[in-house]
Amino acid sequence: MGLLDSSGDLSAEMEVDAFRRLFPLRYYERHLAESIRPDGRPLGRARDTTVALGAVSSADGSALAKIGSTTMLAAIKMEVMTPSAESPDEGCIAIEFHMPPICSPIVRPGRPAEAAVVVSKQLSDTILSSGMIDLKELALVSGKAAWMAYLDIYCLDADGALFDAALLSAVAAFSHCKHLSPFLIVPTSYTLLLSLIHVSARYSLAVQIPVVSVNDKGKIVAFTEEGDGRKLEKEAVNKEKIKLTLGSIPFSLTCALHKKYILADPTSEEESIMETLVTVVMDSSDRLVSFYKPGGPALAYTSLVTDCVALTRHRMKELEKILDEAFSGMEVD
Amino acid sequence: MEFVNPEGLRLDGRRPMEMRQLRAEIGAVARADGSAVFEMGNTKVIAAVYGPREVQNKSQQSNDQALVRCEYTMANFSTGDRKRKPKGDRRSTEISLVIRQTMEACILTHLMPRSQIDIYVQVLQADGGTRSACINAATLALADAGIPMRDLVTSCSSGYLNSTPLLDLNYLEDSAGGPDVTVGFLPKLDRVTLLQMDAKLPVDIVENVMQLAIEGCKAIATYIREVLLENTKQLEYRRGL
Repeated sequence: MGLLDSSGDLSAEMEVDAFRRLFPLRYYERHLAESIRPDGRPLGRARDTTVALGAVSSADGSALAKIGSTTMLAAIKMEVMTPSAESPDEGCIAIEFHMPPICSPIVRPGRPAEAAVVVSKQLSDTILSSGMIDLKELALVSGKAAWMAYLDIYCLDADGALFDAALLSAVAAFSHCKHLSPFLIVPTSYTLLLSLIHVSARYSLAVQIPVVSVNDKGKIVAFTEEGDGRKLEKEAVNKEKIKLTLGSIPFSLTCALHKKYILADPTSEEESIMETLVTVVMDSSDRLVSFYKPGGPALAYTSLVTDCVALTRHRMKELEKILDEAFSGMEVD
Repeated sequence: MEFVNPEGLRLDGRRPMEMRQLRAEIGAVARADGSAVFEMGNTKVIAAVYGPREVQNKSQQSNDQALVRCEYTMANFSTGDRKRKPKGDRRSTEISLVIRQTMEACILTHLMPRSQIDIYVQVLQADGGTRSACINAATLALADAGIPMRDLVTSCSSGYLNSTPLLDLNYLEDSAGGPDVTVGFLPKLDRVTLLQMDAKLPVDIVENVMQLAIEGCKAIATYIREVLLENTKQLEYRRGL
């Protein structure tokens, strides 16, 4: 007598919660047969998503993204560094994904969660290869100074689809903009010839790059306004707060595969039961940026692949709308 | 540098006995047994409590009381300059210990033997008084998790600059080099559980400054009680009572 029979007999008498804990797969299959999930969603629908820009006021760009209960906080800090010899005209982006112990009962302090390292690498690869940021824009003085953008993403609540939420928060943080403030530029005998980075972009709102100048020792310092009319010793290296051009923005969708069902945007419970996950990343010009299926018991036929891509395309339209609403909400302020 | 100008206003426009704006939210982390976000001015802290649950390291298990663990970490972007090593450095370890011992004194650990209670605190924005904000957030999170406690623990800092006792220092006032007193207080039992002080302070002024911090703690306790009461009303409403 297999487990199937015993659970079938017991299900009539057992409480729903107990059945859910003891026989999770049977519980889910009962729902999938009706094309619905325990939280009431149809199979292809993602959870409610919200994006809030400017969550961290001390950062140069920040965003808080929530997909269902999964919460990610992303913040960008810019620092000046010397570019490497092989690419003197390029800045750098360092992406780090953290899963602090608050986010999930399975994360132990002192030991980074396995998922954190994997998602960190995935994010890094996706953002750098998608061409969203042109590194040449981060250059200041060729060969001497360039911007290093540190992107830190913190998971505050881990409830499935970590990569999706992290990518969304990263993209929103890069697009976050603060209002410009006027800067006085007084020409002095010590002038530097520089190219002004001219920006005209489809997505014209972006991270605020702080204005800097080079002091007499050749070091980059923050540019401050001298209110008392004293003559400035240095001229601003970048004359206005520069906005980054954002190329085509990547959007992603993670799906869980189980037999012939595809569940879009799984919760952590679903992820733990159905061990096969597929992540598809597409950009706004309808190109496939990345397809990630790291093994798992369910096999992907061609039809399954096209279905996942179609679901991602649909999700991309939703996410684009959500991001646009978040920007326009901010502009009003 | 002038921290209290001749009119009696501080750098951010507050009066010497005025605390920063408080804001608390319960249940921010859905996966945690109890969680809370606590803001004191620009300092923003999130606390999550997991427990009582099975002890992970069996060798540390205690047969007559619960094990309490605490970890304090700061986000890389929480301070003005990006932090290289947000945890494991000496300051974070010390504050973790301080918070653990403060909360442990208050939790009725003998009611939950052979179990473990984890308190995790993450600083999202730091502008002075992170220690106090963390303790307040931890209290709320423990209450949200339903863990039995003797009393609420509230904490507030105070200092003494330009010959004036100041309540609730922000980062600039804290790094001015003057004394910085942090007090952890149990409001109902009227007892001080945590008292830390840095820098020099004349003995006759210590009493004043400490009393000021205790008043601040009492005010925070009133606010925390309101928040908890509101939260309970919401829970009742949702259950249809």
